[in-house]
Amino acid sequence: MRSGRRHLIIFLIGAILICSLSVILLVTNVIAAPIGRVSNSISPEHASLALTDTGPIVSNETCLGCHGQPGLTMTLQNGDILDLYVDPATYAASIHGHGGYACVQCHTNLGDYPHPAFTASNLRDVTLQLTSVCDRCHSGEYNLTMDSVHATAQAAGKREAAVCTDCHGSHNVQQLTDPVTHELLPEARLSIPATCAKCHNAIYEKYRTSVHGAALTEESNTNVPTCIDCHGVHNIGNPTTAAFRLKSPELCASCHTNPELMDKYGISTDVLNTYVADFHGTTVTLFEKQSPDAQTNKPGGYDCHGIHDISRVDDPKTGIDMQQNLLARCKVCHPDATSNFPNAWMSHYIPSPEHYSLVYYVNLFYKFFIPLVLGFMVALVGLDVGHSVYVKSRRGRHLPQPLPSEGQSHLESESPTQSQTEHNVELKTSPSETGEQDDPSENHSEEANHE
Amino acid sequence: MTSQQIPTRSSPNTPVKLVRTFPRFTVSQRWEHAILLLSIAILLLTGLPQKYNTSTWSQAIISTPERLYIIQQIHHITALLLTALVLYHLGKVIYQIARRKLPGDMLPTLQDVKDAWNMLLYLLFIKKQKPAFGKYNFEQKVTYWFLFFSIGIMIISGYVMWFPEAITRVLPGGVIPGAIMAHSTEAIATTIFIILWHFYHVHLERLNLSIFSGWLNEDDMHTYHSLEYNRLLAKSPPDQDPGEMKS
Repeated sequence: MRSGRRHLIIFLIGAILICSLSVILLVTNVIAAPIGRVSNSISPEHASLALTDTGPIVSNETCLGCHGQPGLTMTLQNGDILDLYVDPATYAASIHGHGGYACVQCHTNLGDYPHPAFTASNLRDVTLQLTSVCDRCHSGEYNLTMDSVHATAQAAGKREAAVCTDCHGSHNVQQLTDPVTHELLPEARLSIPATCAKCHNAIYEKYRTSVHGAALTEESNTNVPTCIDCHGVHNIGNPTTAAFRLKSPELCASCHTNPELMDKYGISTDVLNTYVADFHGTTVTLFEKQSPDAQTNKPGGYDCHGIHDISRVDDPKTGIDMQQNLLARCKVCHPDATSNFPNAWMSHYIPSPEHYSLVYYVNLFYKFFIPLVLGFMVALVGLDVGHSVYVKSRRGRHLPQPLPSEGQSHLESESPTQSQTEHNVELKTSPSETGEQDDPSENHSEEANHE
Repeated sequence: MTSQQIPTRSSPNTPVKLVRTFPRFTVSQRWEHAILLLSIAILLLTGLPQKYNTSTWSQAIISTPERLYIIQQIHHITALLLTALVLYHLGKVIYQIARRKLPGDMLPTLQDVKDAWNMLLYLLFIKKQKPAFGKYNFEQKVTYWFLFFSIGIMIISGYVMWFPEAITRVLPGGVIPGAIMAHSTEAIATTIFIILWHFYHVHLERLNLSIFSGWLNEDDMHTYHSLEYNRLLAKSPPDQDPGEMKS
């Protein structure tokens, strides 16, 4: 009885402990989740309490009392002049302004006046210091950028490598994705190349003349790829690695095998499988799978079509549908190539009587030849096996104890009826070869009678 | 004809038996076959992983560019060996034709078609007698000529693939993918043929190692090549010189 009660008490205490622990964990999870992960769901009022370092929230009007005055500047240690003016209208039009976020939610240490001493030694330092504050709400994206080439360059001391505000802006940061679908807004797509061009202008100039870039910049066509469709967004990888090169055919294929997209422009969706089926693509695909970091001398999609300057294949100057343009590309790897050489590549055609008829007919020939040869061989060999098994079984029945010296080779040369009489002869005589030497001549004479 | 004394398996009263052997292949032909066997085996072993590059067993072999390079080098060197062998063989035949010494046993004749037909009838139990064959029966001739043409196709298409820049100086570019298609498909046809046809006739139907030893015993000779056997027996003294064509 006693021990039973004690067990009950221990059980109850344990249960209460586990319950309270799980409740605490649940509650803290609920509190932590909006701050850490779901960046859009932070309400300004709620977040403000958690995010400001210095006591009660300071209203934006207070800040703009000074910083809304044009001409407010500050000279940094190296002589750079930092503009401290914030246009109230610009901020109000930004996504943070729309959401009613307070200045001090980003500028967390400036709630007090006089402000604490500013330690940035130059303008770039200011950006680099302030951009780390994005992590507080947008840690998902912020962590992705840590894996990017830009972060690698920063870590290597290249201070001009892009950080959040270089692409998104600061006080004018805009909504780029649809709040419901989280897909990129069309106008955001249009602005992407210009954003990248702030640093990568030479590449932008190439892109602008390409078939994709021209459609985007001149026709505002948002079906075409912008920078981020190939390079990624926040975790932009190094595009000069072997792995990126081996993966590039799939990159192109992500749009070019999509019939919904390609049918609008009458472009074939067979480009990937015809590439993979041909010699270059076979090798690239193999290494992409087996050793993604391998250097290969085989061309991927962009070695022939270009990278940022991809043009229409029927462009007279650069299109590789034109033999002389394609030959120039071939010669990069095959310096001895002559005018017939580009045709060795099947140009993404599936062999047919019209295109690459030789390949088509060779394939057709073997489609009949192999089954035919195979069929004849199987038939003859099968008949042969069947015949000798039959003869052997017949012989076994008529002669329960076959002579030991009787070789297998004799079996096939004799018909079942003949074998019986022959064995009677053999049983009487010794198992020598003399009795059988007449056989071939007999066979032959019988053969001759048939002819 | 030579005589050899070999012990028989089970004849207690006659411990040794006299077996006559007939020379069938020259030393040159035996070496040719050995080199052919070796080079085709290496070419298939290094070629098939390249053809079936999407399968897992192949990708385990050619997992890196370095390995693929080595395999291709082996394939190319063996191809040169096979080419040398074919040139030697053709050279020998041309020499024999020029000296009017070509035995001609291997040349296909109308009799082979008749033999094949009679063999079929025999296997279908319509005829009771197997056709009698000469030095090479129609099955052996089919083996020789099938491999003759398939090696021809393999060598020509192989060199077209190997030197596309040089080939397209004289031929249209389309021959390159055509050669690739022919090379890889013909290889399959040849493999199937060797395994199904050749291996069956020399290993399963009966173990025939005469291409390695050079001789055939009397038993096999009169069972499988009775016409040749009779021809040799009719000659006295028996002809020591075997034919020069290879099987």
